[in-house]
Amino acid sequence: MVDVSRHDVVIVGGGGAGLRAAIAASELDPELSIALVSKVYPMRSHTVSAEGGAAAIARDDDSLEMHGYDTVKGSDFLGDQDVIQYFVEQAPKELTRLEHWGCPWSRNEDGSVSTRAFGGMSTKRTWFATDKVGFHMLHTLFQTSMKFGNIDRYDEHFVTKLLVDGDVCRGVAALDIRTGEVKAILGKAVILTTGGGGKVWPFTTNGNIKTGDGMSLAYREGVALKDMEFVQYHPTGLPGTGILITEATRGEGGYLLNNEGERFLITRDYGVGTKAELGPRDMISRAITQEIAAGRGVEIPGKLGRYAHLDLRHLGEEKIMARLPFVRELSKAYANVDPVHEPIPIRPVLHYMMGGVDTDIDAKTSIDGLYAAGETACVSLNGANRLGSNSLTECLVFGARAGEHATGYIKGASVGEEGPFVQQAEAEAARVDALRGRQRGGEKVSKVREDMNTAMEEGTGVYREQASMAKAVSEIAAIRQRFEQVSLDDSSKVFNTELIAALELANMLDVAEAVTCAAVLRKESRGAHACSDFETRNDTEYLHHSLVFHSPDGPRSEKKDVTLGIWEPEERKY
Amino acid sequence: MKPGGPMPTRTADPRPPDKYPGRGRYPSYLAFGASGAFLMISALLLIRGVWALGDGGAAWDAYRGALGHPISLVYHGVAFIGLTWFALRLFRLFPATQPYRMGPIKRPADAVLVAGLYGVFFTVLAVGTLFLGGALL
Amino acid sequence: MSQKLKKTFIVTRFDPDKDEVPKTQTYEIEVEPDWKILDALNHIKDTVDPTLSHRWSCRMAVCGSCGMTVNGEPKLTCKDPMSDYGDTIEVAPLANFPVVRDLVVELEGFMERFQEVKPWIMVAKERAVEEGTTQQSPDELADFKQFSMCINCMLCYAACPVVSNEPDFIGPAALALGHRYNQDSRDEGAHVRNEIFRGEGGVFSCSFANECSEVCPKSVNPSGAIQQAKLGNVIDWATSFVVKRGGDVS
Repeated sequence: MVDVSRHDVVIVGGGGAGLRAAIAASELDPELSIALVSKVYPMRSHTVSAEGGAAAIARDDDSLEMHGYDTVKGSDFLGDQDVIQYFVEQAPKELTRLEHWGCPWSRNEDGSVSTRAFGGMSTKRTWFATDKVGFHMLHTLFQTSMKFGNIDRYDEHFVTKLLVDGDVCRGVAALDIRTGEVKAILGKAVILTTGGGGKVWPFTTNGNIKTGDGMSLAYREGVALKDMEFVQYHPTGLPGTGILITEATRGEGGYLLNNEGERFLITRDYGVGTKAELGPRDMISRAITQEIAAGRGVEIPGKLGRYAHLDLRHLGEEKIMARLPFVRELSKAYANVDPVHEPIPIRPVLHYMMGGVDTDIDAKTSIDGLYAAGETACVSLNGANRLGSNSLTECLVFGARAGEHATGYIKGASVGEEGPFVQQAEAEAARVDALRGRQRGGEKVSKVREDMNTAMEEGTGVYREQASMAKAVSEIAAIRQRFEQVSLDDSSKVFNTELIAALELANMLDVAEAVTCAAVLRKESRGAHACSDFETRNDTEYLHHSLVFHSPDGPRSEKKDVTLGIWEPEERKY
Repeated sequence: MKPGGPMPTRTADPRPPDKYPGRGRYPSYLAFGASGAFLMISALLLIRGVWALGDGGAAWDAYRGALGHPISLVYHGVAFIGLTWFALRLFRLFPATQPYRMGPIKRPADAVLVAGLYGVFFTVLAVGTLFLGGALL
Repeated sequence: MSQKLKKTFIVTRFDPDKDEVPKTQTYEIEVEPDWKILDALNHIKDTVDPTLSHRWSCRMAVCGSCGMTVNGEPKLTCKDPMSDYGDTIEVAPLANFPVVRDLVVELEGFMERFQEVKPWIMVAKERAVEEGTTQQSPDELADFKQFSMCINCMLCYAACPVVSNEPDFIGPAALALGHRYNQDSRDEGAHVRNEIFRGEGGVFSCSFANECSEVCPKSVNPSGAIQQAKLGNVIDWATSFVVKRGGDVS
């Protein structure tokens, strides 16, 4: 018999979106019982690694319309305009709330909150706390969440299945990593806030925990994954490790240089116009990739391949220490370079998934009682390319929205008959027990993961080709078969990280399937999906979202309309 | 650092820091803590002296006479070393314990703070020596 | 490829299902010279022994998961370069914590103390969003900023001799966090936290070993925070007889 606990709202994931959802629900109704289930202690969530800032209008020279248009244009017109309008309206309120909760936003001399420039944004609207914004936001949210007495945390609990009967979701089955036992955590509504799946790729800014868990959980229950082909390569990661060097380096005035010391974004035409280093991420990543391909990359012989230079020296030590101290710390520790005296080596690195669990503007999925927010979700704010600093704000705006709507939904809902849900959890416990220490074929988790990483890098890089994407589709299908032959060495129940790694790998393989399936079908170039065989955007045939559904016979795809509005699609040139 | 309640699985007991107490920076800290005893005893002796001063010339002379006893001399020799150690470590660590602002003024440079501390230390030492030696009466 | 180096890793292992007490296991591996200690552990996990358990995530010194003892010193292993060590490297779980498994330690004790210091902005009346952001000068921000940089990596607890000897001690990171809120110009709850600070296991249990600040990988300086909190507490206690304290805050 599995242990059964009962709550009103069950939130899966303790990062920015999950904590914001928990606080929203708790504030709306202090009588609610809220479960916050996370596979790590919340302060380890990957929100912690975001550096540059969070966007919301704050200055007199800015407007909701400008933020909205920048976001629509950044999305290459694939963002839903109703969602974008709602987002830009809520954004300043959310960041103000965070200020009231103690977030140490950097300040102007007059005591007001300071903002900085960011890529694709037409004015300074990125709020920041030096260059550790995600860290400060996450810790502020986590610490604030502790004052609410009705948030019950399930730390280090790995959710393995959503408990769905018919078309309603009423809780989760979660593996208590500490004890190795599977529990049923029942609730009238479930919110998925587990972040993206950057670890599907080998060279990524993402931490080890970013394995697409929420996407996979929803996908297996028949919810569509939307716009999965759009994955963002951040222009500036450290070679070798992929550690993120924030876009704020360029917001503060940093230059990108090739091996001739040339600011190629100015001297050559990469479509970013006078924005230069402050162009959107997809374009800058392509520019760097082309510079390297044309032989103008910098190279350390035989080691980490070719890369470009990010030059901050002209900013001076004082400004670097005041605005970008973490960049200096990271560059010294992980690239052996002091940006005060030397340029930082960088190359494009996988950073963010625009796609995710298909939700409507209320963060609701196609299953009753199931919501999703943050990077896990695709509410269609980011379309084909996200603008830097919109995603931290997205976690707040749609985390809160999910918390509020889930709370509204459960007013009229009851768990109903528990039996079917508990039975599912028991079946899940048996499945996990069978997997732990399973001796089957000779496959190893780490090897299968590595091969998946390689296939994804070759098939879905900065530039894609039909042939390489088709190859990735078949390779991922084959690797999924190999996963069935994985053997596990660790049969212990307590803190079995090999078991967790296997469960995460299964999730990542779902994400990989959806990404490759969606990518090969989009025969155009839009935003982050740059197709060498189809170099232009094709609004006649492809101005639509792509949906991928799981089925036993392989993934099935559909189209979904984009919600347009006051901004008509136009050529995206800066 | 154990939780208040029971732990869900059997755990291995915490072990103390590997270098505690005999290696690394710990001996310096333990000597610092121990030398606090000299600080306390010497403060008591000082209070006794102030008391004697209030009781008139005879009492004060007797107090000073007792300070010249061989046991007192040995004690003060050892105490001097202990208190110097206490001061050295305290002064080294002191600047980092000071807030960004002290009231309306910003924290002075570390060197200024340390110089100030040593200034006070040597002044007190000099004045005390002169006073007990009778030069200031 | 750069020249690989041979290293001997002596790693503490403990599985409560099988082991009465922790033991060590030796791994001979080849490493890249620019690896961190965590890279070597992941290499062991992926290619030599999948049963080794340790926590890690961001590998960029900000999530705070991977604190361990390396050659007797508490270290954030993702930031700890292999080049600082010789041919033999001992990796053990953090000291002062019960061990759950291998290199994984029990964090619940810390989480309880973390919550105990009320680490949130306490005000008598919550500000409405419509009122806009609070004014806070750069100097007011600097009053607490350093103490808001803690990543909860637990190295300070592992190094602190008071944590070893006094079970009720709230400890460096949590006390520094409480002080961070006391120093924040937006907060009105200092008198509430000060009562906690002068209670059992509060700031006066600290005997200024300063180990917390020595081992902190983020220069948070918990020891400085605690010494400031001691003085602040004395002043708060003394003035409480003269000045009436504010009303209820939450």
